[in-house]
Amino acid sequence: MSEPSTKDSGATKTPMVYICGECHNENEIRPRDPIRCRECGYRIMYKKRTKRLAVFDAR
Amino acid sequence: MDFDDPALLKKPIKEIEEKWKLVPAFLKVKGLVKQHIDSFNYFINVDIKKIVEANNKLVCDADPLFYVKYTNVYVGRPDVDEGFNISKPTTPHECRLRDMTYSAPISVDIEYTRGTQRVSKAGLMIGRMPIMLRSSNCVLTNKSEYELAKMNECPLDPGGYFVVKGQEKVILIQEQLSKNRMIVEESKFGVQCAVTSSTHEKKSRTNVVCKANKYYLGHNSLTDLVPVSIIFKALDVTSDKEICELIGVEDISKLTPTLEECHTLKIYTQLGALKHIGSKLVAKRYVTSASKMKTPVDEARDVLATTVLAHVPVENYNFRMKAIYLGVMVKRVIEAQSDKKFMDDKDYYGNKRLELAGSLLSLMFEDVFKRFNWELKSIAEKTIPKIRATQFDVVKYMRSDLITNCLVYAISTGNWTIKRFRMERLGVTQVLSRLSYISALGMMTRVNSQFEKTRKVSGPRSLQPSQWGMLCPSDTPEGEACGLVKNLALMTHITTDVDEYPLIRLANNAGVVDINMSSGMSIHSPETFFVFLNGNILGTIRNYKKLIHTFRMLRRSGLISGYVSIYPNFLHRCIYISSDGGRLCRPYIIVERGRPLVTQNHIIELEKGIRSFEDFLHDGLIEFLDVNEENDSFIACYEKDITDLTTHLEIATFTLLGVCAGLVPYPHHNQSPRNTYQCAMGKQAMGTIGYNQKNRMDTLLYSLVYPQAPMVKTKSIELTNFDKLPAGQNATIAVMSYSGYDIEDALIINKASIDRGFGRCLVYKNSKCVMKRYANQTFDRIQGPLIDTTTNAPMWKHAVLDMDGIVAPGESVDNKQVLVNKSVPTVSAVPGSQTTSVEYKDTPICYRNNEPSYIEKVLVSTNEEDTTIIKILLRQTRRPEIGDKFSSRHGQKGVVGLVVEQEDMPFNEYGICPDIIMNPHGYPSRMTVGKLIELLAGKAGLVEGKFHYGTAFGGSKVNDVCEELAKHGFNYQGKDFFYSGITGEPLEAYIYSGPVYYQKLKHMVQDKIHARGRGPRAVLTRQPTEGRSRDGGLRLGEMERDCLIGYGASMMLIERLMVSSDQCEVDVCNLCGRLGYCGWCNSCKSSREVSSITMPYACKLLLTELQAMNITARLTLNHYCE
Repeated sequence: MSEPSTKDSGATKTPMVYICGECHNENEIRPRDPIRCRECGYRIMYKKRTKRLAVFDAR
Repeated sequence: MDFDDPALLKKPIKEIEEKWKLVPAFLKVKGLVKQHIDSFNYFINVDIKKIVEANNKLVCDADPLFYVKYTNVYVGRPDVDEGFNISKPTTPHECRLRDMTYSAPISVDIEYTRGTQRVSKAGLMIGRMPIMLRSSNCVLTNKSEYELAKMNECPLDPGGYFVVKGQEKVILIQEQLSKNRMIVEESKFGVQCAVTSSTHEKKSRTNVVCKANKYYLGHNSLTDLVPVSIIFKALDVTSDKEICELIGVEDISKLTPTLEECHTLKIYTQLGALKHIGSKLVAKRYVTSASKMKTPVDEARDVLATTVLAHVPVENYNFRMKAIYLGVMVKRVIEAQSDKKFMDDKDYYGNKRLELAGSLLSLMFEDVFKRFNWELKSIAEKTIPKIRATQFDVVKYMRSDLITNCLVYAISTGNWTIKRFRMERLGVTQVLSRLSYISALGMMTRVNSQFEKTRKVSGPRSLQPSQWGMLCPSDTPEGEACGLVKNLALMTHITTDVDEYPLIRLANNAGVVDINMSSGMSIHSPETFFVFLNGNILGTIRNYKKLIHTFRMLRRSGLISGYVSIYPNFLHRCIYISSDGGRLCRPYIIVERGRPLVTQNHIIELEKGIRSFEDFLHDGLIEFLDVNEENDSFIACYEKDITDLTTHLEIATFTLLGVCAGLVPYPHHNQSPRNTYQCAMGKQAMGTIGYNQKNRMDTLLYSLVYPQAPMVKTKSIELTNFDKLPAGQNATIAVMSYSGYDIEDALIINKASIDRGFGRCLVYKNSKCVMKRYANQTFDRIQGPLIDTTTNAPMWKHAVLDMDGIVAPGESVDNKQVLVNKSVPTVSAVPGSQTTSVEYKDTPICYRNNEPSYIEKVLVSTNEEDTTIIKILLRQTRRPEIGDKFSSRHGQKGVVGLVVEQEDMPFNEYGICPDIIMNPHGYPSRMTVGKLIELLAGKAGLVEGKFHYGTAFGGSKVNDVCEELAKHGFNYQGKDFFYSGITGEPLEAYIYSGPVYYQKLKHMVQDKIHARGRGPRAVLTRQPTEGRSRDGGLRLGEMERDCLIGYGASMMLIERLMVSSDQCEVDVCNLCGRLGYCGWCNSCKSSREVSSITMPYACKLLLTELQAMNITARLTLNHYCE
């Protein structure tokens, strides 16, 4: 299976970090990598929280 | 103690205090959904082995040496395939998150021939069985709370459902008429006696009817009704005298017309009778080689032996048993003709059986297992004759997906189709409703009836006296399913099958005379009683009392199963023993000689934890009674009602209600329909779903920010753990009028209370996205956000995306923003062409809601097919607003009519300001006195600092509660002195105020608000779209149209129905009457008479559609003023 060369045009060259749902280990996963924790082999990953500012309407 | 002393008998029996503690003890061993789990356990541990054993041998015609024999079968522990034949144990929660099926392998040990060799293999997987949560094979059983929390599972979750493709599915309890029992009922021929026989192999229905004074037997394998006399002769009862003896009615003249039939047809022998029946057989659809050889006589004999009354055993063509059974059936019909007492009540719960997950799954499994074997056999037949390099090895052809897919498909769609029995049921399973904890529990106890909902019959819908204590009298939906969908009561247990063999032996030892040994004369003599075991005649007995006594004693001593029931029917002069599955039963304290066997000491031991519920059963202090045996017992509700006749004592009266009705405080003070309404509304209340609710990713999940346990509890609330997972808040209400915004049940809400968090709720929604892979090596892809080159920032639609093209948690998303920037390849199924440059089409997952949401979390995982799934959980926090629906626990629902500043709310001298003002008009017509008492008890609980109880048929007494209030300086009647918040003047009346538990219901204005001026239109008709989700128009319906016609507002009609809808300019040619365009008539080739008119597009569409069907509608135009 050949990786499409046009893929993501530099945007996802840097792998994203996902957190394992079991051991909370931070995994760097590239697009089309198998989703699996390197530490415990768990297959559920969660995304990290945004680094952008969030404003809440406190009502 | 000397019980025989009559003075002692007269003494009132002291109440056993805290006797209700037996209920939690019962629930501890049985649990609220034990019926489901028991039934499933029975299936995977016992029944599946029986099924495989019954179909254990596989042979094929091609090779006489070839055979496959299943020696054992077992269901393993749930696991998940990790690829490369490695599997890993899984948890239900992982399956829920990853959209997988929580299932375990079904393994078999087999013995078969490969060529001439005999090979045996163990642990061969033939399929996967979805596993019920908390069943014996589930990973959650017997785990501590800590271990459950480790597995992300709520310890209070009842289990009893399946996780199939990530969805929680419940197999609803199905109610149906019991099998293998005679039912005397009214039919089109008058009285008939019907038996639905059901064995593993066959399912058939046999009727005995009376037509023109003759008795006939009807069966679906016979084309016509056959006189019973002929059937008797075919069953080897050839003499007319013997037939009369077997039927056993005193008035033989009733039988003469039937017997005469034989003589007119000249049938005197068994052979003659079989010949006659053979001519009336329904032609077989499939003619096999074996059946071709059979003569009609043989065929008729076979049908009589195996199909007619299939549940009555026939060994070596000895029809004696069947003849006696048929005799009894005819007798029942004759008796019922003269006396209506003999008619059976089909709605009586003793005649009903409940089908649970286990029995339904076993039907399904048996069917698919037979198909599996049949397929193996046909493969063997096809491949063995071929000359091959390798020897034929069946194991290679044993595919596991047939059984797996069949079971998964059945559970996930709810379509239960079993061709063998011509059974086709839809909607057997439902998605477990997780609106609140109670709605999930309520679903597990739901009983579905097989009746069609459209039939307007009152019988099956009305409350049956025999459902007392078994099914909740309150919990049923309103409307079309009213009375057909029911709920189990708190202590109901549903039996599973019990082995018959020891019962037969016991019955024989207790003096039952084998039916084959008694003469025709003696069986119907007035002193003898028939003994039936699960619908089959076992024998006769004279001293039936001894038999019943022996059975009951042995059952109490635990020597036979506690769920076996025995009861006499004096009308039929029969003793019925039942050990079949699906009977409703419930535990009772045994009373002997006017004294309950459970004493205070026992309860103290129970409290100390020395005794468990099972010990009570084991010691013969408590026993289970089914509906039929209940009717042969004298059951006292309370100790004071015990007389010397009493045989049993109720454990706790409040258990006659179900889970949902158990939430209502003081239900015995309410008008009955109000409790029913609350049962429906309790399922819509927001609250807590489970301890694991933050780990879940449901499509829709409501939860309350600050849930509270109710001030006025009930025993059922504690038993169902509603106080641990509550759904509501204790609002201080004042029953008074305030402004005009409280009419028609509207509530006035204190704004300050809302600010403090009253009724604040979280709404979680989920967006799902699957990354598919296609046959031509292409796949869906996700791209990062599109950057605007001028600002060098992502475009607005992509503003919330991370670099991986998926939204980041914590971000607020607005309408139409992209959550996942997915694109799919445009060419998906082109084989051969190399993936040189794949064209992609953008298919982003967008957020569609006018109110923004926050991203709670984003999950990335793979499912069973190893495709990537992305789940996004969206959160909204909502405060109550005008139009949101609230309800108390007494069926008193209302919407918020006005939100008032605290300054304007009335207050009393303590400074207490109500959270809710409720209009007093809600009380008189609804008669919810329970709510008044709840308020009083709740208020007393506040000042005293404790919870009061509003348990059904008990609870804190009004007098005591009032006394408590007075003790703390409050008004005895719960009324307070209030000042107006607006004027500051004292109010003229004392206001009834205090805490009442209020539930916030899931219906909120934000999800329903809808308005439209202009907007999208349907392509075909050019009329506005329909429905809120499509931003549709507000329909002016037929009835509204009628109003406008009646009023004569013709221009208004034109505006509503045409101008604002699908107005359209059309060119009509007045020469030919057809439609033209651009002022030109194409059929006349002229523009002379073409004029432009306005009409609804739907009309134009009709004209053109008619033309397409070769029908021309011609229009004739006139000037408006002519």
